[in-house]
Amino acid sequence: MKRFVYPITLGFLVFILSFQLLKDEPSEETRVLSNSPSPTPIQAETMDNKASTHSEDILEATPIEKNYEPAVVAPTDVAEGIVPVRLTIPSIDVDAPVGPQGYTEQGGMAVPDSVTEVGWFEPGTKPGATGNSVIAGHVDGRNGPAVFYDLKELEAGDLIYVEGKDGEKLTYTVQKVVAHPLDESPIRELFGPTNEKALNLITCTGPYDDEAQEYTERLAVYTTLSSSKTTPKN
Amino acid sequence: MKKLLSSLAAFVLVLGVFAPAVFADNHEEMAMVRVLHASPDAPAVDVYVDGNAVVEGAEFKAATDYMELPAGEHTVEIYAAGTKGEQDAVISADVTVEAGKAYTAAAIDTLENLQLKAIEDSKEATEGMAKVRVGHFIPGAPAVDVGPIGGEALFAGAEFPMVTDYKELEPGSYDLEVRTTDGTQLIDLSGTTVEAGKVYSAFAVGTADSPEVLLLQDSAAMPSEMPETGFGGTADSGSNAMMLAAAFGVLAVGAGFFVFRKRSEA
Repeated sequence: MKRFVYPITLGFLVFILSFQLLKDEPSEETRVLSNSPSPTPIQAETMDNKASTHSEDILEATPIEKNYEPAVVAPTDVAEGIVPVRLTIPSIDVDAPVGPQGYTEQGGMAVPDSVTEVGWFEPGTKPGATGNSVIAGHVDGRNGPAVFYDLKELEAGDLIYVEGKDGEKLTYTVQKVVAHPLDESPIRELFGPTNEKALNLITCTGPYDDEAQEYTERLAVYTTLSSSKTTPKN
Repeated sequence: MKKLLSSLAAFVLVLGVFAPAVFADNHEEMAMVRVLHASPDAPAVDVYVDGNAVVEGAEFKAATDYMELPAGEHTVEIYAAGTKGEQDAVISADVTVEAGKAYTAAAIDTLENLQLKAIEDSKEATEGMAKVRVGHFIPGAPAVDVGPIGGEALFAGAEFPMVTDYKELEPGSYDLEVRTTDGTQLIDLSGTTVEAGKVYSAFAVGTADSPEVLLLQDSAAMPSEMPETGFGGTADSGSNAMMLAAAFGVLAVGAGFFVFRKRSEA
């Protein structure tokens, strides 16, 4: 009896184990692929900053422990933002034209047909303005890698350059890289209101669903504006 | 014992394969709620939902970002900051929220008459237009109009504690004012900029003597689905992994037979 039970159990275990290892990672949980080295202090700091702008005087009089995320307010410094035409990411050798994209018929974000071009979500925020700007690109074509194939290699601190149609240049710094299961992707976090001047890059990742002809996860690279040169270069 | 362990291990592994699907999302059933402290003479507050602290130390004029709450009825309690357990809640109210909707829960009026006002916020932006509404949360102030300085009112006759419907405006910069319905300016809002594809709530707060406006952003133009950004040309097919794993499994069964037979012979 033992003779059969042990080998079969062993075989079963090996099957499960190797399947788990071979398939492209677990697909239902959000995975943080890269984060800023010390996320907690940074977050705490920005929260304090935001909170204190509201009521600095009262804060000094009576120190009260604050614990909440402040609402998104309309910015008082109105940065116009730019119409992006070129995206450069030296660390993964990306240098791609950017075209405006809108909605698909289903109300999703449209993407370029080309695998060498990336698309900026035009109904949303212009890069450089307060809010979440979004640029999406393909991870692969039908036969091989596309413009954002190496996006998953990005790490917190890497720099991203966006050039505007009048030669303006914006520099963004990667904050974190996260793979989201498709049906749990935080669309509002990526596209919605924020007090930051943020740019989020999106491509596909995870296992490919042959039936749906679609990848089952989305890779999101969260970046924030670190410098802007809005005067045209000569 | 060994058998028990290995079957236990197998069980855990099997669970590991299927559990994520079982526990996966019910976030479609969530509502979004943000909290606004609009009571000018009330102290800083802590907000508890169903007994759990969700906001701590929010002072007058503080507005929180949206928080996710499961759809359904919730008990919202507001305490003066740090006094839960020592004092009674200054407000306790049952609030029902619906899945997929967004709300602002505002603590309004003076401390003496403090009340919780829950309003539904728009999540839908209009392409190419800004959407704006106005809330009058200044206790004791008369009805107001909001419009270009000296010009025709965009929002007319808003009374405390009323929130107007959203109105679509051309994006751009406006020199607005909040004025009493007879034309006396209460708040100068020169240089208010609203952008296309964004949704705003302008809440007038404070007292009749020192009124001001909080301009919050409720939503933005967003797609309903993520972009489809791959054709699968570089994907490892899932079935490959299955086949390979199966092959390993069969090998292991064979090896197991060999090993265990030798052992029982010895």
